[in-house]
Amino acid sequence: MKKFKRRLSLTLRGSQTIDESLSELAEQMTIEENSSKDNEPIVKNGRPPTSHSMHSFLHQYTGSFKKPPLRRPHSVIGGSLGSFMAMPRNGSRLDIVHENLKMGSDGESDQASGTSSDEVQSPTGVCLRNRIHRRISMEDLNKRLSLPADIRIPDGYLEKLQINSPPFDQPMSRRSRRASLSEIGFGKMETYIKLEKLGEGTYATVYKGRSKLTENLVALKEIRLEHEEGAPCTAIREVSLLKDLKHANIVTLHDIVHTEKSLTLVFEYLDKDLKQYMDDCGNIMSMHNVKLFLYQILRGLAYCHRRKVLHRDLKPQNLLINEKGELKLADFGLARAKSVPTKTYSNEVVTLWYRPPDVLLGSSEYSTQIDMWGVGCIFFEMASGRPLFPGSTVEDELHLIFRLLGTPSQETWPGISSNDEFRNYNFPKYKPQPLINHAPRLDSEGIELIAKFLQYESKKRVSAEEAMKHAYFRSLGSRIHALPESVSIFSLKEIQLQKDPGFRNSSYPETAHGKNRRQSMLF
Amino acid sequence: MEPDQAASAQTGPGATETKIHFKVTRFIMEAGVKLGLRSIPVATACTIYHSFFTATVAPGPYDPYLVAMAALYLAGKVEEQHLRTRDIINVSHRYLHPQSDPLELDSHFWELRDSIVQCELLMLRVLGFRVSFRHPHKYLLHYLLSLRRWMNRHSWERTPVSAAAWALLRDSYHGALCVRYLPQHVAVAVLYLALHCYGVEVPAHAQAQRPWWQVFSDDLSQAQIDQIVLDLIQIYTLDAEIS
Repeated sequence: MKKFKRRLSLTLRGSQTIDESLSELAEQMTIEENSSKDNEPIVKNGRPPTSHSMHSFLHQYTGSFKKPPLRRPHSVIGGSLGSFMAMPRNGSRLDIVHENLKMGSDGESDQASGTSSDEVQSPTGVCLRNRIHRRISMEDLNKRLSLPADIRIPDGYLEKLQINSPPFDQPMSRRSRRASLSEIGFGKMETYIKLEKLGEGTYATVYKGRSKLTENLVALKEIRLEHEEGAPCTAIREVSLLKDLKHANIVTLHDIVHTEKSLTLVFEYLDKDLKQYMDDCGNIMSMHNVKLFLYQILRGLAYCHRRKVLHRDLKPQNLLINEKGELKLADFGLARAKSVPTKTYSNEVVTLWYRPPDVLLGSSEYSTQIDMWGVGCIFFEMASGRPLFPGSTVEDELHLIFRLLGTPSQETWPGISSNDEFRNYNFPKYKPQPLINHAPRLDSEGIELIAKFLQYESKKRVSAEEAMKHAYFRSLGSRIHALPESVSIFSLKEIQLQKDPGFRNSSYPETAHGKNRRQSMLF
Repeated sequence: MEPDQAASAQTGPGATETKIHFKVTRFIMEAGVKLGLRSIPVATACTIYHSFFTATVAPGPYDPYLVAMAALYLAGKVEEQHLRTRDIINVSHRYLHPQSDPLELDSHFWELRDSIVQCELLMLRVLGFRVSFRHPHKYLLHYLLSLRRWMNRHSWERTPVSAAAWALLRDSYHGALCVRYLPQHVAVAVLYLALHCYGVEVPAHAQAQRPWWQVFSDDLSQAQIDQIVLDLIQIYTLDAEIS
């Protein structure tokens, strides 16, 4: 009994860390589901297993590399015992415990452990008998790994296992393996000619280049490899996400070239980014083109969001445009799968001007709505020719937002009055101003749509998918909604770029822009 | 690290690849716990490990423990729970050589660190940068939630079905199930096995036109579930063989 108590305490102590891992899962689910109240009970229910399994693993491990005498107390069954004890609302708790103790000392395990009389439960101490046609019994399986001790595996499976299981000295059947490492089709640097440099940052340098295979222009994003750190996680994330994103409005990753000192990502080349495009037309874009660009942003974003990928860093510099007017989302270095919770990047995620107020006020809850605020800002910028909220600090940014949209109150933004950061800033009480005064070129439908993006509460912001169906886009016709993902909207004959009123057909002042352009592609 | 010692200690005569991977993934799980990794990054590390050895030719020139260490490091980056190579080395050293002193910060240590970084790059290339995975965890949580509402409350609370399902899922990473099957399918299979183990029946299952799991995953057949369950049971059998 003493031994048992010790085990129990071990388990209970261990369960602390596990709660975290479970609550982490629960956290994920809240993000996914927004139905937090339903989650709680199952989390409780879920706790014992994880706690018990992780714990028992840990102890099994500790057991496995300690000397035998130390091993015994830390047994798997000890772990599971504890977990059953720890399980709430279990009426038959004591019975189960007794059952387990009995099971621990039943004939089978005594036989199996053999070596010592009281070492009844530890599977690490169980000797393997060299019976070839060894019957796999319930008791065997019961004592394994982190299974609860009273688990009953249906007999059918045990029988099947006897028939199907290959002898253990042969490898398990596997999916066919790829032939060899050398056959892995990775690009070679010789395939690409470096042309001019487009920009430089701390992690990466971006070059314009040409592929010798296709003669196409490419953008070469060269990432220096830190000797100590290996591949930067931004690069890993960007590549792993982009590999799965195939869409007409998302920049295509053609190839990855890995050399000893660097990792080069080869992207399709697009002439300019939206920032440059707006500059080139003197910040007076055709309102029709504004609509086409906005639609394409939403189209690319809706695709990402469907696949649970957040961009997290939308800004004009990250939206690339070719001469056909095709717009593509680029720079997924800060993007991540929505389901992965993190606080690492909180508050440093979105460039200040396009950052939503909830994030500015310290919210680290990420959902797809985080990207929609920025869409509103970019929409405004295209329509009016100037950035909406060009704040230089967080406070300045919030100040600009509140001056236009009104300082939030408990009525306009439930929960804001309990936000400490908001209270500490002590902003003046501004009244909301009509947006139309600031973007006179927008029609009423455009104004209505922009207001749907610029909602204080993230859950009230319109989603990319819904926004595409807004009346503002009615003039584009209905066929645009039925296009396959990989097809450009310009494949429809009714969709055409118009001449921008302010466009200067200058020979590119490429050098003037050279420094600043493609800032987006730099880490 | 120290392939000779590690390998000779872990791979006796007749040891199979599967056994090695079993032991090494167990190492990943333990090192993960010691490094304070959450469960999803640990699952990612195991998946990276299995994917790597599925994609390369067996037995290959790679030290499985080095691959495991790099898998942990990479999983930390992918899941945004960053680990330091130093910590990974120290934890692994302790695991593989429990009796010896901590490593000195000498050239040997730096070599180990470089090996991890190089191995990480190799793995990225072999896996074609496909290192973010969807794990069965959130599916299982969903399934458990919906099933619990559907089940008789009393019988649900009496039997630790969810406990068993989570344990089965965790243990599944000892084998390459995460590479072989879809996460939804693994989630259904562990739930299915857990229900069977406790003899719990899903209400109206007998009368229903479709089996209950097709509500969760409509492309899943009984045969597929059976295959996953067999794979799972094999993991437990293998554990018995090794111990």
